[in-house]
Amino acid sequence: MSQLSSGICRRLNEAPQEEIEQLASGHTVQLLSVKKVSPTTNTTTPTDRYRIIISDGVHFIQAMLATQLNDLVTAGEINKNTVVVIDRLACNFVQDKRLIIVLDLHVVSRDEEKIGAPTAPPAVQEVTAPADAQAAPSFVASPAASSSTVQAKQQQTRTGPSTGPSGRSGKSVYPIEGLSPYQNNWTIKARVTQKSDIRTWSNQRGEGKLFNVTLMDETGEIRATAFNTVVDDLYDKFEEGKVYYISKARVNLAKKKFSNIQNDYELSLEKNTEVEECLETTGVPMMKYSFVPLSSLEELQKDHTCDVIGIVKEVGPIGEITSKASNKTIPKRDLTIVDKSQYSVRLTLWGKQAEQFTTDDLPVVAFKGVKVGDFGGRSLSMVSTSIMSIAPDIEEAHLLRGWYDGIGSGESFQSHSSALSGASFGGFNRNEMRHLSDVKESQLGMSDKPEVFCCRATIAHIKSENISYPACPTQDCNKKVVDVGDGWKCEKCDKTFERPEYRYIMSMAVADWSAQAWFQGFNEAGLVVFGKTADEVHEIKENNEAEYNALMAQSTGVTFNFSCRAKQDTYNDQTRVRYGISKIIPLDYHEEAKCLVELLKSSWAQ
Amino acid sequence: MSDISMRVNAGRLAGLKGRTVRLPCKVLRLADDTALVEASDGGQVEVQRKNVDVTATYIEVVGSVVSATSIKALTAIPLDSEGEINMKLVNDTIRLSFESRFDKVFLRYTDSI
Repeated sequence: MSQLSSGICRRLNEAPQEEIEQLASGHTVQLLSVKKVSPTTNTTTPTDRYRIIISDGVHFIQAMLATQLNDLVTAGEINKNTVVVIDRLACNFVQDKRLIIVLDLHVVSRDEEKIGAPTAPPAVQEVTAPADAQAAPSFVASPAASSSTVQAKQQQTRTGPSTGPSGRSGKSVYPIEGLSPYQNNWTIKARVTQKSDIRTWSNQRGEGKLFNVTLMDETGEIRATAFNTVVDDLYDKFEEGKVYYISKARVNLAKKKFSNIQNDYELSLEKNTEVEECLETTGVPMMKYSFVPLSSLEELQKDHTCDVIGIVKEVGPIGEITSKASNKTIPKRDLTIVDKSQYSVRLTLWGKQAEQFTTDDLPVVAFKGVKVGDFGGRSLSMVSTSIMSIAPDIEEAHLLRGWYDGIGSGESFQSHSSALSGASFGGFNRNEMRHLSDVKESQLGMSDKPEVFCCRATIAHIKSENISYPACPTQDCNKKVVDVGDGWKCEKCDKTFERPEYRYIMSMAVADWSAQAWFQGFNEAGLVVFGKTADEVHEIKENNEAEYNALMAQSTGVTFNFSCRAKQDTYNDQTRVRYGISKIIPLDYHEEAKCLVELLKSSWAQ
Repeated sequence: MSDISMRVNAGRLAGLKGRTVRLPCKVLRLADDTALVEASDGGQVEVQRKNVDVTATYIEVVGSVVSATSIKALTAIPLDSEGEINMKLVNDTIRLSFESRFDKVFLRYTDSI
């Protein structure tokens, strides 16, 4: 009679997940019974499964035989009372109970009598993962468990998936946060928050098609991608907004280039990936946002993604853009959104979204994962992973609605699109300040692209002959108007005005310790230099020459911080670099002195 | 004594007894012949000002050092700006000016400091 490893059954019944898989190998047990169970409907192939009862002579416990061992049963190798040595087993947890699965074994002897008088093992309080919630009625691990799974992620062993009722037998739900390539018998239950279109690609290595979805549960988000044939199988299965059980997908390292989802991993959906729609959607949250107020868009870097929510104040018409890369025309539409921070910003929709966007009223729209651009100051753009939801049922949306209906509609908003010619955000960067001889020597602006630089210089001379020009008073139209006798006519707007609005157009010689240069300033620059409007200065020039000269003299010799654009200009066969002032800032001596002290303390000055 | 006068704060007075110095300061109390001022490092100094007029809140006292807390004024230069002077900035400057790396930038007393 064979010697059984007594005590193993009890240990298998009581040990926590991490221990079990190491425990089992090499133990001798007797199979008291081998019974076929009817195949569950969810298995992909209708194989038989065998339930076995293993005994160590003292206790007996139930287990399942892995399907790869089915042959042993059908061939008669293992049956009632066979003594075997378990080589490998796994343990799943289903509905408060643990389920042992024997993955590998080898037969020691057959046809023995029942060894010992095994009884049912003592009942044990099921303890699965440390710090797990006690039978919490949630489908996915509570945050405490998921934090322990996060730690387990560092080690190779995993704490088990949560207990708690899951809807299906044989599957317990794993948190998305706990996914890693090291364990692959998991099932996640998640909502599809975004499904992309099917995209085809072709490059030197070949071509194919793909689509991806973003899956979200309470613990996190993860991206899943399907390629080629899998696309055909799964594309229609996934629907945005619905919840699915997904298992047997491959966990890979995330390709951050293609996605901005915060997860180190992503899923590859394969031919054997199982996707089942789940009808019990409690516990799986709707979209998670972290909204940025529009006024702080300036602080975000270009190409960063963010979430915003706002009222759509203006919907532009559909336009079309030809993509330089693919020579295809893509429809686009611009919206202007505003929010409580009293800022407005332009947001661009592309493709189908642009075509389909229609609203009559001014809805609250939430955008997740839109890209920050610097077109005209700051702008937002939808990317493939962005999600737009119109009038979402979340608190911020209601707050915005209330604000807008109350006072918002009357307010005027500060726009992020600068009217200045500068396409880039013309901020003054003290760290990158240059001196004029450096600017000239490094030939800034000589190449075709305009370049920006910052400097501090003193006005040496202002060309006082042509200080301003009569401009069209229409907002944002600054075209020169022509005196047609009984009025001033604007060619662009095709309107005639009684009086034009004068705008500065100045040529100034500025100098610093190294060199002198000519800068061109526009209206904003003139306002800063003179402290008067161009209209006023024009008046003074017409009426009182002495006062005008005094004004000019008074404004020279003043030092400012400049932010400039250097651009090449061809004027009558002569190509020259012209420096245009994007920003002119009077000196705050306190600030400047502080910066100088800092500079002296820094390593540069040692 | 040469004609050099360096800008100092209260802490530096002790090492410069007998020297002529410049002390930028804020006037705290004005009496007939004296004044109590606060230097840029916060230290308080008594100014003996027999015939010297003090006309502003922030002044620079040029005088000879009597002790670590007292200075005999030769003249007082008004420094008022439209309000407050950033004394911290002044103090930073004074501190920096004594560093050896700036020996060529500032005039120093010919005897060792």
